[in-house]
Order: sequence, then structure tokens, then C-alpha cells
Amino acid sequence: MRDNTLKYLLVLPAVLVVFATAIWPLIESLRLSFTVGRLNRPGSLDQYLGWENYTWAFSQEPAFWNSVWITAIYTVLTVALTTLLALGLAMLLAPGGRFRSGVQTLLILPFAMSPALIGVSFRFMFNPEFGLFDAFFGVMIPPLADVSWLADPILAFAVCVMADVWGWIPFLTLVLIGGLASVPQDTIEAAQVDGASGWRVFRDVTLPQLAPVLAVVIILKSIFSLKTFDQIFMLTNGGPGTATQTLSHYIYFNGMKYGQIGYAASVAWLMVIPMIFLTYAYAKFVFRKD
Amino acid sequence: MTGKRKKQVARAIQTALILMAIFVMLVPIIWIFMAAFKTHVDVYQLKLFFTPTFANFGTVFDAPYNLGDKLLNSTIIAFVTVVLAIPIATMAAYSFSRFRLRGETAMLVVILATQFVPAVVIILPFFVMFRDVGLLDTRLGLILVNLAIVMPFAIWMIKGFIDGIPLDTEEAAMVDGSSRLQVIRNIVLPMAAPGLLTAGIFCFIIAWNEFLFALILTNKDAVTLPIGLALFKAEEGDLWNLLSAAGIIIMLPMFVLALIIRKYFVQGMTMGAVR
Repeated sequence: MRDNTLKYLLVLPAVLVVFATAIWPLIESLRLSFTVGRLNRPGSLDQYLGWENYTWAFSQEPAFWNSVWITAIYTVLTVALTTLLALGLAMLLAPGGRFRSGVQTLLILPFAMSPALIGVSFRFMFNPEFGLFDAFFGVMIPPLADVSWLADPILAFAVCVMADVWGWIPFLTLVLIGGLASVPQDTIEAAQVDGASGWRVFRDVTLPQLAPVLAVVIILKSIFSLKTFDQIFMLTNGGPGTATQTLSHYIYFNGMKYGQIGYAASVAWLMVIPMIFLTYAYAKFVFRKD
Repeated sequence: MTGKRKKQVARAIQTALILMAIFVMLVPIIWIFMAAFKTHVDVYQLKLFFTPTFANFGTVFDAPYNLGDKLLNSTIIAFVTVVLAIPIATMAAYSFSRFRLRGETAMLVVILATQFVPAVVIILPFFVMFRDVGLLDTRLGLILVNLAIVMPFAIWMIKGFIDGIPLDTEEAAMVDGSSRLQVIRNIVLPMAAPGLLTAGIFCFIIAWNEFLFALILTNKDAVTLPIGLALFKAEEGDLWNLLSAAGIIIMLPMFVLALIIRKYFVQGMTMGAVR
């Protein structure tokens, strides 16, 4: 067979699978978002409604805006905290050696853990009666001794952020260690010989060299933060009330619990829009080397 | 302070910080491991020292929990997902790596982009369709949707491995009269085998840990391990010792697999944006 035919035949199955499992549902979601779309009402999935689901979300649903804000704050906090702490840990671990390499190996573990399980484990750690972190914070910060973390809207949100940061630091640290390894060592040494302080070397030499990797880390983490669902579901299930209801959780609840699949699809599509920008930015970094 | 002394202090602070980081990282995991070997009473007393018991691991496999069914479902679903995804991804990856295709960049970007689409967007139409064709709560249904999350990783990861295989052996074989398909079978596949295995393990971990699809599409017969965790919510509260035992069954195999492929974890997750 000629290569010219073969090369298209080889990608065909993959293209078909990606189309059927990702592109089709995206388009079908878009269609559903313009329908009445009630799960319990046959025929409503084809009943055209125009933009009403979208205008409903924007004008009639405080819970939608609530989840938009929760998701936004959650994303900003988790991205900032994870990136900063991972950068710190990466700087500590980058020099290598047996001890540090051993620690790097351990870093894989939290990331191989199912996010749902991370949610469960943090619910465990913050149990008011026998949670280890609950007890720890109670001793360190006495005003927090008798609070029930997951029953308080702000503290429950804080626990969700902590669980997320805990789960993601290890992976981002590994990525940043990889990035630090590509910063030329002689440039750093030259700056040190010139008498630059540790902080100056970091700011003027390391950080600019690390910028592309840092950008990748921030974009990737933003995407995953925006999508957050599993942990929240197992940790607080959006509660107390709707204090930790992220957009994904809001969509799940409207679509699956209330059966308003058309409305859920419209909110889901509103969520796709920021993803398009982030993916575009990410793709630029992926193709940078080619 | 002399320079040498200053350096020693700095090193001590660094070591202390690293140890603290390990502590924070491992404590939730260790806590689950400990709870899994505790009796119900010991869990509720925040005990550090206790007489370990293996009873929890027996209980979770008994009725009414029957975790064995979920374990079987998870294993079959993740395994079949990988077995379907890897050959399809390998064919595409070879083509993307070795040829110039019309619309190649566009295809690669779209494949990359599908990875970033929120799972909740994809699952709504699948739920409706599966309800109509009777695929709800079946392993087959879950395998099909899992392909959506696994394929992009597999294609990008394997493409990275094939990119790293030098062209000259292939070219020499072609000059000797081998066909392209023979070259792929006899030269590329053996050389890419470790990469394919790595990608397979990586996808297995992702499929195994998948949560949202299984939550929405299954309720009884095809329930997977992560969803099975919800079994241990009793009326009197969560059964933490059983939850922890189930947690270990979920995470321990993935720890082992992740350690095997740890060198490629970063490359896989970032789809080659960071090498």
C-alpha cells in the first residue's frame, strides 16, 4: 500500500474514536442547551427553546452566579497556592542526591491517588471527633479547637482548597524540577561569582529561564481547577448549603438530580468557553518546540 | 557567622523543610493505612497505637458491601479501555510522527483540546443516549466513555516515544524491500514496546481512578471502586475503618503502577509540553 493512503488509514480509527467520544457529545451538548431538555419528559429533548436556558442562568439563578464565584475563587486560590508551594519544594529538591531523589519518588504517590479518595481522606482528617488535622489545627490555633470544619461555609471551602493543593503539589513539583534542571548551571554560577545574592540569582536568572514551564504549569492547573468535581463531591458534596458548589457540581446537580439536562448543558457550555482560551494558550506551548 | 557555618545552617533549614513537606504529604495516606487496620472503636479514639486487625479487609468483601464485584468491574473496565486505546493510539501516533498529514496540526490540537473539556459536558449526551439504547449501568458503556479521556493522553504520549526512535533502521529496512507495515510490525513496535507499556499503565491509572462518568452512568451492576466508596456511608455516619480498607484496595495497586512508570509521569500528564 502506498504511504500516502496508509498514513490517513492509520489515523482514521483514532480520529473516529475521538470524534465519537469527545466531539459528538460536545456538539450534542450544545444542541441540548437550546432545548427544554427535561429527562423525565419524553420529547422535550428535541423541543427547541432558543436562548432561554442561557438567559435563565444569567438572570434568574443566584445559584449559578454563586457557583461561578466559588469556582473563580477556588481556581485563583488553588492555582496560586499550588504553584508557589510547588516552586518552593522544587527549589528544595532540585539539587538531587540520594535523599532528595528518594523524596521525588514519594511525590508520585498522592498523584496516583484517585481524587475521590483524596476527598474522602480529607473528610476523615477534618472530622470534628477524631480527625487528625482537625485536632492539629485545634492545638495550633485555639479558636479553631471546637469548630466543625465541614459545617462552616468558609472553613469547608478552605478544606476543599487544602485537599486540592495537597493533591496537586507533588505533580507540579515534579514538573518544575524538570524545568529547573534545564536552567543552565553556569549562568547561575556566573551570577554568584559576580556577587549576586541568592534571591537576585533566583529572580534574575532562574525565574526568567523557568517562565515557559511555569506558564505550562499555571495553565494546566487552571484547567484542572476549573473542572474540579470528584474531590468536592466526596468531601462536602457542595455544602454546607451551596458554599462549596463548583460549576461542575452545579451542572451535575441540575442535570442529574433535577433532570434539567437542557439547562445543565447550557451552563456546561458556558464553562467550555474559558477552556477554549486556556487550551489555545496551552497548545502554543506544546507546539513551541516543533 | 562564617561562610561555612552559614552554609551548614542553610542546609539544616532546607532538610527540615523537606522533612516537613514529606510529613504533610504522607500523613493523610498513612492515616488511611492505619485506620484500615483499626477496629471501629479505635478509629473513633484517634489512637496512634492499637492492636492491628485484618478483619476490615474481610468485611468489605462480604455482603452487603461486596467490594469484590466493584474490584472486578474496575479491573475489567480499565483493562479493556487500555487494550482498545493503545493499538488505535499507536497507529495514529506512528502516522503523526512519521508523515506529514493534511490538517495534522489541527487534528493534534483538537485531540489535545478534548482532554481539557470538562467531563460533565461530555457525559450529559452520553447519559441520554445510553438510556435510550440500554447501555446505562453496563461495563461496555463505561469503557466507551473512558476512551474519551484516555485516547488523547495515549496518542500524545506514544507519539512522543515514536518521535524518539531514530529513522535510519526503518529506512534501511525499506531499502531492503520491507513494506511499511512490515517495518511497523518488525522494527517500530518492538522498539516502542516499553513506551507502549508505559502509556498503557498511565491510561490504566486514569481509567481506574475515573469518577464522574461512573457516578452518572452506573448504579448497581457496573459500579466501580471509587463509586463503591459511597457504600460505607451508614446512617450512624461514615464507617471509616471500612472506607480506609477500601481506599487501600483502590490506591495500593495504583501506587505500584505509578512507581513503575514514574520517569514518564510528567511527560504524560503535560502531553509533552514539559519533557
